[in-house]
Amino acid sequence: MMQHHTTIKIEDDRTHLAASNFPAVAASIAVGMILLIVAGAIGRPAGQGDSYTLLAASYLVSYLFFLSISLGALFFVVLQHLVRAGWSTAVRRLAEILAANLVWWGILFLPILVPVLLGKSDLYAWSIPGAAAADELLRHKGPYLNPAFFAARAVFYFVVWGLSAWFFLKWSTRQDESGDPAVTERLEKTAPAAMILFGLTVTFAAFDWLMSLTPEWFSTIFGLYFFAGSVVAALAAMILFAAALQAGGTARRVITIEHYHDLGKLLLGFVVFWGYMAFSQYMLIWYANIPEETVWYLERQTGPWTWITAGLLFGHLLIPFLGLLSRTVKRSRVLLSFWAVWMLAMHWIDLYWLVMPTFAPDRLPLGIMNWLCLSGVGCLFLAGVLWNARRRSLVPLGDPRLNESLAFENF
Amino acid sequence: MGILAEFSGPESLKAVAAELRQAGYARFEAYSPYPVHGLYEATGRRRTLLPWLVMLGGTAGCLAAILLQWWTNAVDYPYIISGKPPFSLPANVPIAFELLILFGALAAFGGVMVLCNLPEPYHPLFGCAEFRRASADAFFLSIDAADPLFDLKGTADLLRALGAASAEPYSRPQTERRVPGYVKATIALLLAAALAPPAYIAQVRFSRKSSPRLHLVLDMDFQPKYLPQQHSPLFADGRAMRPPVAGTIAAGAAIDDAHLLRGETGGQPAELFPMPVTMELMERGRREYDIFCATCHGLTGDGDGATSQVVVLEREEPKWIRPLSLHLPTVRSQPAGQLYQTIADGVRTMPSYASQIPVEDRWAIILYIRALQRSREGTLNDVPEELRKQLESIHDDATSYDDQN
Repeated sequence: MMQHHTTIKIEDDRTHLAASNFPAVAASIAVGMILLIVAGAIGRPAGQGDSYTLLAASYLVSYLFFLSISLGALFFVVLQHLVRAGWSTAVRRLAEILAANLVWWGILFLPILVPVLLGKSDLYAWSIPGAAAADELLRHKGPYLNPAFFAARAVFYFVVWGLSAWFFLKWSTRQDESGDPAVTERLEKTAPAAMILFGLTVTFAAFDWLMSLTPEWFSTIFGLYFFAGSVVAALAAMILFAAALQAGGTARRVITIEHYHDLGKLLLGFVVFWGYMAFSQYMLIWYANIPEETVWYLERQTGPWTWITAGLLFGHLLIPFLGLLSRTVKRSRVLLSFWAVWMLAMHWIDLYWLVMPTFAPDRLPLGIMNWLCLSGVGCLFLAGVLWNARRRSLVPLGDPRLNESLAFENF
Repeated sequence: MGILAEFSGPESLKAVAAELRQAGYARFEAYSPYPVHGLYEATGRRRTLLPWLVMLGGTAGCLAAILLQWWTNAVDYPYIISGKPPFSLPANVPIAFELLILFGALAAFGGVMVLCNLPEPYHPLFGCAEFRRASADAFFLSIDAADPLFDLKGTADLLRALGAASAEPYSRPQTERRVPGYVKATIALLLAAALAPPAYIAQVRFSRKSSPRLHLVLDMDFQPKYLPQQHSPLFADGRAMRPPVAGTIAAGAAIDDAHLLRGETGGQPAELFPMPVTMELMERGRREYDIFCATCHGLTGDGDGATSQVVVLEREEPKWIRPLSLHLPTVRSQPAGQLYQTIADGVRTMPSYASQIPVEDRWAIILYIRALQRSREGTLNDVPEELRKQLESIHDDATSYDDQN
């Protein structure tokens, strides 16, 4: 038997945020809405600088950036229950809170979905009425790529994600008071089904919202690529979340350097996994050299996009791989936080690289529009996180594995 | 040689290790049935070198893989695969990745062996019967006699003072153990047997034989099948070889129509077509001409097809020989049979199209060429009555346009 010397006393620690953070939530929502309205106001008809197309694409990048953080966090939560992990209990609530934004995140999908239903989408060429008639391939894909089915699928994804995130947070929070081990068993029994649904929905969401930007192009591994990047983003966000809480005086003792060390290990692992997925996709297309497949990479290997592609290879894989390799780095809050910020930036560039070349093949559309959308959606995301974190312990106090997590040490 | 002391639990083991380190002892070792957090730090050892060895191994594997692929594919035996450059990194990544992992794993394995002094078939501590409990329920600490502070009595007293339940000296057993003779003989025999395969390979490698040198797998040599001229009980005539079905004709042996197949009549190129000339044949000729001939000779037969335009206009190839215009007098005067032979056998730089164009289609193409040629010397009288007016109005427009300018 492994013995636990629980020298950490939870009673000594602050596990809740300030009693009322409603002003912060309201301010965050207000700022986010203003930023998005400004972005909408400076949009111009197609063909001009800050065109509606660019606005829509920037919004999509920002929207998916924060969505992927929540999705990665949901994966983390479900995974911990699936494998009955002990070490992660102390930081699992952070992931639950990040994932809980999925409950209402579908609302922000409306600016993307409504134009598709109206047949006026600037993003999805296949959804324009008459597009399929002009293109044999689109006609062939019609039964899948049509506005009605697209909307139905989106609803299904958000229902699955929202229910999963809500379910795992609600029961875990209930356990805080009751301390009932039956709750843990119940969550563990739900985890396999949630994980299977998660895998399917994330894959098809990536197909629908990212891959269908170039509707003629296809790659079966694309969903996994998006998933890998999402988990990287979620782990980075969790590291920063934990570091920010501790800097603010919350959970200072409960979250130990050992937890950072393990989150860092997972981050390193998923950085490599992302590279594995990215290369697996690239290698087959590069080797077969079939025009209908290479067109997607050709767009990203010509003009200024070459630099972004190379930047991802180094910035999203090789440099952070070497940077996160050392034990010393992973056991330092400052250094690990630096790499977490780095990976979040790279994940944003990754999504930018997935979306933008379709609309601007010969230039990098970087400007006020991108930052307005990113910060606007970011403020709304932050408001959601603060809202989810209110009146609730930031540590699963009633989890029977909490002691194991507190006593956890790396060798 | 040394002293083995037993302690009550992991906490006391940690405390004693820290005490000993403070007392100046360096060569001691702690044993516990399960990993004890903090024990490693308490013994005051530096962190292991192993991660660096693994990194070194991994880097070496990665570089070795790229070097190997560069040397074999691009230098020693350049071979173009799938239209890729001889040295192309994307193709090398999987091998580099795998060798990185393999060398890293080998470095980890070898590193553990070396750093832990393995394999160590015998250790003096194995002489202590009590020590076996180290992997079950007991916590031990041993101090090596080689430690400069070691003193058989003083050290044992110190350990007892620190709370040891027992502190017994241990040493190498006095009885000398030898390897039994039969083990030695078996090893010698196995070694000798291990020499046999390389010796045999060397023998067959450097000798000459008419039969295969070394033939281990025989399964393709003896097949349950009939060879020519063999007997078979399956058929009434007892022959394994079956005669052709009655009335079989060898390929190309039966029909020999010189006109149709070679475009000849009386040994000379034929003037006439071997089949009735119909509008249907003409349409077929137009279709086949546009597919096979127009790329070089052009849609109207002027010798200005797409290939010619690409070569002349884009590549500015000076040695390019233009495809012949089918409207040249020399071509116009050729009998149909000669055109047929050109298609079937090729002429000058034009290759034979026999494999692509079936016999009937060749004649259809010739018919269409004849139509193309005829179109160049047509007059207004050749145009059907009802279309003449239309043509004249176009002509009038053109002249009036010319007049204005």
